[in-house]
Amino acid sequence: MLDRSTLLRVERLRKVYESANGPVEAIGDINFTMHAGELVCIVGPSGCGKTTLLKCLAGLLRPTSGLVEMHGSPVTGPSPAMAVVFQEYGRSLYPWLTVRGNVELPLRHKKLSRAEREKLVTDALEAVGLGHAARSHPWQLSGGMQQRVAIARAIAYQPEVMIMDEPFAAVDAQTRADLEDLVRELHATRNMSILFVTHDIDESVYLGERVLVLSKSPTWVQEDLAVDLPAERDQITTRALPRFTELRTHVYDQIQRAKRGDAVAAQPAH
Amino acid sequence: MTAQTSRITMTRRGRGVGSRIVGSFLYAFGLPFLLLVVWAVAATRSTNRFFPDPLTIFRAFVDTWIGPAFVEDVLPSLYRLGLGILASIVVGVAAGTVIGLVRWLRELLEPLLEFFRAIPPPVLIPVVMLLIGITDTMKVVVIVSGAIWPILLNTIEGVRATDSVMTETANSFRLTWWERLRFLVLPAASPRIMAGVRQGLSVALILMVISEMFASSSGLGYRIAYFQRNYLIAEMWSGVLLLGLVGVFLAVAFGLVERRVLRWYHGLREVSRA
Amino acid sequence: MGVNLRPPSTRGLRAARKALLGVVGLAAFLAVWQLIPTLGLINSQYLPYVTDVAARLSEESRDLAFWRRLGSTLTAWGIGLAVATLAAVVLGTIIGMVPFLRRATHTMVEFLRPIPSVALIPLAVLMFGIQRQAALVIIIYASFWQVFVQVIYGVADIDAVARDTARSFGLTRRERLSHLVMPTALPYVMTGLRLAAAVALILAITAEMVIGNPGLGRMIELSRSAGDAVGLYAFVVVTGLLGLLVNIVFRFIERRSLSWHQSVRGEEVL
Repeated sequence: MLDRSTLLRVERLRKVYESANGPVEAIGDINFTMHAGELVCIVGPSGCGKTTLLKCLAGLLRPTSGLVEMHGSPVTGPSPAMAVVFQEYGRSLYPWLTVRGNVELPLRHKKLSRAEREKLVTDALEAVGLGHAARSHPWQLSGGMQQRVAIARAIAYQPEVMIMDEPFAAVDAQTRADLEDLVRELHATRNMSILFVTHDIDESVYLGERVLVLSKSPTWVQEDLAVDLPAERDQITTRALPRFTELRTHVYDQIQRAKRGDAVAAQPAH
Repeated sequence: MTAQTSRITMTRRGRGVGSRIVGSFLYAFGLPFLLLVVWAVAATRSTNRFFPDPLTIFRAFVDTWIGPAFVEDVLPSLYRLGLGILASIVVGVAAGTVIGLVRWLRELLEPLLEFFRAIPPPVLIPVVMLLIGITDTMKVVVIVSGAIWPILLNTIEGVRATDSVMTETANSFRLTWWERLRFLVLPAASPRIMAGVRQGLSVALILMVISEMFASSSGLGYRIAYFQRNYLIAEMWSGVLLLGLVGVFLAVAFGLVERRVLRWYHGLREVSRA
Repeated sequence: MGVNLRPPSTRGLRAARKALLGVVGLAAFLAVWQLIPTLGLINSQYLPYVTDVAARLSEESRDLAFWRRLGSTLTAWGIGLAVATLAAVVLGTIIGMVPFLRRATHTMVEFLRPIPSVALIPLAVLMFGIQRQAALVIIIYASFWQVFVQVIYGVADIDAVARDTARSFGLTRRERLSHLVMPTALPYVMTGLRLAAAVALILAITAEMVIGNPGLGRMIELSRSAGDAVGLYAFVVVTGLLGLLVNIVFRFIERRSLSWHQSVRGEEVL
């Protein structure tokens, strides 16, 4: 694992919002690194600033202080090395464009020949199993399929890391399982680096190679847990493993502690 | 056997379609036809010379408008109307987009625009006449000065209300300025813009007529006022009919364009309503 | 657009800023208006000084004749709006509730509605001369359609389940009208009323300009033909203020009547 280069480095990240009742510290002090080709899940109690963190990472929001680095250079704005999949697929896909148009949109200003662009789009749509729906409009598809379109758009963009913000929170359980397997598959077959934010503990353990457990706000990384489940995962067998149960119980306890705020004392001194 | 059953159902369905078409035809044209007949009967019986019977109006319509008058009066009017509408849309959407995107500009101009929108458009005719004089340009400027406000204000509102997640998506994929305008801001505002254009169209038509009644020696509005002053009743009615037709034509043309431009919007609404 | 660097300030501050900018905008407009004739860009015969127009406005406001004319315009407006609304609500409810009538009148409505009401001015003059009735014909015709169309939409909007419920409980026609149809259609009627109020004012003033019955519109036309630019601009400003007042009042009424409704509908309904 030593040859894996550091992809993303977050150091002493802090975000304070100004509000009517004075400043609110959303993110206290977040530190972690992510290697190329990793699938890292971030979980935390609700309202712990997951979305704020993600927006800071993606360069959509400027942190109050601290550093986000991609390949050693600081992220100051949206970067071509990252693609975000938002939770609200209905608002992230443009309803006036077709599925193909949506996937193609971010590629328009990349210096690609028409044929290359076509190939990327077709390939991305095939990868999420939507090759047949290219000419539909997003709103003609089910929620799960719409989120597949958003994933295809991120794939076609060819980022170094795909950042997913609770992408499956709004779809039903059955669809959700299928989409989780799609993420695992993209990670395995395309060696994609994925940063996956969720509030679902089972999902984080099932998907991740690592799980970062966040504290409640002001947020810091309460635990960085390596998931030692086999790389080949399956909704039924993996979730039935005793190790899976152990890990999810462990994460569950951590979240409970985070909610109570017990873990504050354990914060490592910098 | 299968073939036979299918043929039977097909003929049955065919008859159903046929009677349905006849039904729709009756529904569509029954009442207008009935009213025309009533009008014709009433006109022949009454002595009121202000209401000639439909046939007389129709004959006057053919005599008055089909011929040189079409080139001298109708075409110039329509040309000015079209030019005015086009200019209103171009200027209104362009300015509205800029104002909608720049918050301080929007806040600076908002009370002023509210005031200008509230001015009844026809009172601008004398003002424009005073500033520009009585020319063809003046009539186009009059149309623009009235029709632009609903388009401008609706564009501002539509651009301002661009969805935050959609904007964030554009940010995260680093869309260029032009791509944002072309693929995000304008399409997102298009339902509002179209609503503004629809209001603008009716204002434009009103202003075309009034400005010609006021200050012109040609054009549809001028002709109709002329017929009225000279008690050419059937001719005047034919003018009203022609204006009605222009109005209907504008509404139909707009409907066609709107259905094309906003197909995604109507589809989306239908899906979310179901 | 772009990354939002400014911390979100408090609501009160923002409102104050907005009000201030609005006042600045207004002041700048008046200043530019004053400057144009001062610098001789446009002769003050065509664009009078704003100070002169303001002086004329204050002079007029102390003149009883001015208020009488204003009253005259508002009377025509009020009568026209009332008659049109009443007729539109009654006819719209009947036609909207009977499918046969709705289908049979569809073509007529679609043909009559786009006819510009000003096309009827010559006819109105022939019938009534320069009396108020001539203006009323135009006002009523134009504002009728605004309310009528909304009532038809409103009646069509009645929830199928609510209608079936009403039927199953054996509500009489009158009860259904007052408990089901009216509450559903009311917000639509209010939207129609707001639009009709603005349209009625436009046509009240237009009619006075073109037909010559007494009122503000006639004063505008008289000022124009007399070459009294100051008077012309002063009366135009008055009509603008009047329009603003009508818009504000009817928007307020619409909001009030919609406050119980789950969705305050946008302008698109027009």
